[in-house]
Amino acid sequence: MPGLLTGSGDSSALVPFSPEANTPAVYPLHHGLKPPIAPRLSISWSSGNSIRVSVFRSPETTKTTDGEAEVGGKVVELKVSGEDVVSEVNDAARWRRIVYGSVSPFAHLQNKKNAMAALSELRHSAPSEVEWSKYVLEYSKEINSLLGNRKSSPSPLIEDPKTVLKNDEEPSCLKAAWELLEIFYANKQSHSWIPEQLVDWLTDYDSLFTGQVPAVHSRLVEFQTKLINIQTVENEAAYWQAISSALSIGWLDISVKLLRLHGSYQLNQLGSRETENGLVEAVAVLISKMPRMRVDLPDGKLGECYYNKSDFMKAWEKWRAQITKLDCSAYWLQCSHNQTKENLKNLLQIMLGNTTTLTNATCHWLELYIAHFLYIRPFTSGLESMHVLAQKCMQLKPTSSPHKLMNLIVGILGENTEVVLAECSKSFGPWMIAHATELLTAGSIQAEILLKEQRDNLGGVSIEESHRLVYAQVLSSHALTWQIAPIYLISCMKHGVGLLEILLYKQPVYHSQILLKNIEICRLYDLDSASANAMKIAGVHDWKHGRKGSGIFWLQQAGDELRLNRIAQTLFDFVGKSISDESFEQWEGLIELMGSESRTAGGLEFLHKYRDFKKSLQQVEGGGVTDAARKTCESLILIMKNPSTPQRFWLPLMYDSLKLLTWREGPLLNVSQTNLLLNKLQELSVAKLRPDFIKVELPAHALNSVMLALATNLGRAILEE
Amino acid sequence: MATETLKQFHRLPQSTYIDALRFLPPLSAFDRYVVVAAFNSDTDESAIGIHALNPTDAPTLTLQSSFTTSSRISSLKVAQKSLQSPLIAASTFAGSLHILFPNPIDASFESEVSIPEKMLHLGPISSLDLQESGSACVSVGEDGRVNLISVSDSGLDYRRVFDSKGLVSYTAARWASPTEFATGGLGNSLQWWDQRRPGGPVSQFKGNWGEGASCGVVHSIDIHPSRKHTCLAGGSYGSVFAWDLRRPQQPIILSGIGSGETQTLSSSDVWEVQFDTFMTTSIISSERVLPVMMCSEDGILAVIKQGEEATEILAENCAINSFDIDRHNPADVICSLEWESIAILTRT
Repeated sequence: MPGLLTGSGDSSALVPFSPEANTPAVYPLHHGLKPPIAPRLSISWSSGNSIRVSVFRSPETTKTTDGEAEVGGKVVELKVSGEDVVSEVNDAARWRRIVYGSVSPFAHLQNKKNAMAALSELRHSAPSEVEWSKYVLEYSKEINSLLGNRKSSPSPLIEDPKTVLKNDEEPSCLKAAWELLEIFYANKQSHSWIPEQLVDWLTDYDSLFTGQVPAVHSRLVEFQTKLINIQTVENEAAYWQAISSALSIGWLDISVKLLRLHGSYQLNQLGSRETENGLVEAVAVLISKMPRMRVDLPDGKLGECYYNKSDFMKAWEKWRAQITKLDCSAYWLQCSHNQTKENLKNLLQIMLGNTTTLTNATCHWLELYIAHFLYIRPFTSGLESMHVLAQKCMQLKPTSSPHKLMNLIVGILGENTEVVLAECSKSFGPWMIAHATELLTAGSIQAEILLKEQRDNLGGVSIEESHRLVYAQVLSSHALTWQIAPIYLISCMKHGVGLLEILLYKQPVYHSQILLKNIEICRLYDLDSASANAMKIAGVHDWKHGRKGSGIFWLQQAGDELRLNRIAQTLFDFVGKSISDESFEQWEGLIELMGSESRTAGGLEFLHKYRDFKKSLQQVEGGGVTDAARKTCESLILIMKNPSTPQRFWLPLMYDSLKLLTWREGPLLNVSQTNLLLNKLQELSVAKLRPDFIKVELPAHALNSVMLALATNLGRAILEE
Repeated sequence: MATETLKQFHRLPQSTYIDALRFLPPLSAFDRYVVVAAFNSDTDESAIGIHALNPTDAPTLTLQSSFTTSSRISSLKVAQKSLQSPLIAASTFAGSLHILFPNPIDASFESEVSIPEKMLHLGPISSLDLQESGSACVSVGEDGRVNLISVSDSGLDYRRVFDSKGLVSYTAARWASPTEFATGGLGNSLQWWDQRRPGGPVSQFKGNWGEGASCGVVHSIDIHPSRKHTCLAGGSYGSVFAWDLRRPQQPIILSGIGSGETQTLSSSDVWEVQFDTFMTTSIISSERVLPVMMCSEDGILAVIKQGEEATEILAENCAINSFDIDRHNPADVICSLEWESIAILTRT
């Protein structure tokens, strides 16, 4: 989309574009031509990311090379490799898998959208919101599953008590971002569970933040490596820190597991540290009994689920009462291990929602935010209040360089579609944004207006369309994905079809596989003229490279009368010349291929007659016998009378027969025959005015000579009669 | 259209584009191998690889050995000399031809003989076929040449059977017997050749050349060893038809547009046709065409029986470029999908 991306410096740019001028790289070009090379180069894009450079020799030098035939130029294709489409998915094959996989959910959703629009038009009612959000959720889940499955590795039979974190497949930011969008935009049914969904989300993706900001996940990983060498864990500050951090962001199973590593559980210690152990276990039990406002929990996760708000409320109060009771218990006085006592009390504070404790236990603001949902405000709902809370957390735990996922969350919470779009496009590339717009527009009229409004500064297209066009452009730049681009282009109302035609024209159709693909795409989208053009290009290419049969075939398929007539012309030129046996076979074969369609100038019937006529004319010219000449004249009249004889051969036929028209021994044509020929001449002069008239290459005086000869003949014929 | 229930179906994503694939005749009693011609778009490399197929509930393909070719593979065939190790024949778009001999013990490539580019054809070899005995190969191209390549212990030897000098372009070839073979080309045309009568095709089917839109290209031919007079062809616009040499003017149309009473399974290119050797029920009368399996550009894999409703086996979102039926266990089918993956299925 040239033109749209200019002015990238200003804020209206939709596509990230770094204006820093890189130092140009110089690559030598191996074209294998001998110097001197004229300064004539033609550079164009070939298929995919290849640049086609045509190097021409200057015509003089080509002429002067004697002896050996030298080529006049050479075409070199350069493959340009650049940064990957999404830096995140650096494995190109894996990236293409996502590209392939997202085609069918996207196309499916577009079909549904069109069908629903048609239906509502029929019924004069607005399309059903509920039904549509169901489709969008389906779509979102399908795309989500493409971005990688979080299948945890099968748990070992004998679980190592010292393995706190499981080594799962590395999660990707792309998937994390998609899930965020799904939580906020697609999953309308479970909006009241957004806090718990975010808790789960952070559980899955906290490790992603590690590189940029300190995170609980990295803290735990660090602690786990140390754990093997620690004798008495409860004396280590890191141990307690790990537990409180894990607890603060709701990783209950991990905190309980860690608590049970406490030294007081060891059999030889049990006698002397009974009270201490009782306290540890009590905290562990309280942690595992935490009420959760959600439908269910995945296997291995702790907490008690409440579907109903009032039930949850009761359980929550009861749970907090139990914590307070334990906090005030007299047993703490009997606990001799000071560190255990202090830190267990700290854990109770976390569960009671002490802001300072939570702030200390968490690493970045998002974790603090989650901790707030869990322990302070489990009923937070509505984007506005969630946004206020997020801002508060950001103040408590400011980050200098926020992670891209954090930026995305802020944009979503701020209900700012532009920011969400910009973040998606900046951090996750064209694939993300082309597919995410469906989620953003689902159920939000504001977003829909923003995305679907036609904009003059975008050349009259909407934001949604422009993103799809950009993505289609990305697809077109790869040899294996270009055939997917039409699906996205065709969903663009304004410029889609036009760009699709350009894309199709750009394909190197002289490769038969690509030609067939091209024809198939044209067939699917009713682009008859584009398909005819591709066939014409292929036909001419084949003809020029000696594959005459294939050339004629494709030109016939394209219905290219003009070029077929040209070919017929070359065939006609052949006729009458001295025909050796070998070349006779060639052109006989060609006549066969040209078929006998009445529309085509190269009608088989005419060609045969023409050849016969030319043969007999040659005999007459060799040594004129009046009888033979008369017979030839008869066949001339027959050919001229025949409607299948192409008009543009009338004059050459007559010009060829000049000798017959001015036969010395007397006129060979009678008055009516001469009149017929004169009429044909008359018709020709009228036809000349028509735009489709094909000029024949004949000497300038040809027409005059024929007219003169006919006039002479007419005179002689009248006299004779 | 009926759909068939499958006992097993698996899609195995690859990181390369699969140009062609074949089951390899068994090297030993326990192993199963698949030959795959793959194109890596990132490195621009083409290779023929032998993959071990482990037939469990979750089948996997493990690359055993690989042979790099200079250009992409246009046609891939396998054959087995009686009780000897199998051999693989492949032609490239650059015009070279390669015969590979896999080692029966470790499935590595024991040796390779080839004919370089520009010797057999001008431009790409569009199709090649290997005789069942593995002793001879026929190659055709769009340049209009037909070549016979004899494969012997001393190497390869070739001779030109015919050269149309570009007047006729051939796009498919298939052996019928040790002396006869069929070719196909543009305009749904088919030619029958007999080495005992040299100089040109002995019989021709003109197809519907010049009839406008419904006129297409033959992409694939098959001939059943038990009925050598019938030539099965698949091509553009979903056409699948059988040409009986005994009634050469009347093709039996099995599927395709404009076929009147017969069904239309697909209206895109039919990339490959093969007689389906997997019989479940009745014996087919000798008057009927044997069951046919086809795959198409619009992602259909189906079995067509003359006079019966076709059975759709797969309907994919992308093109199915080629398929192969395991000769020793015809319930198993393997196919290559356009979106860089291989599908393995077992019929019930």
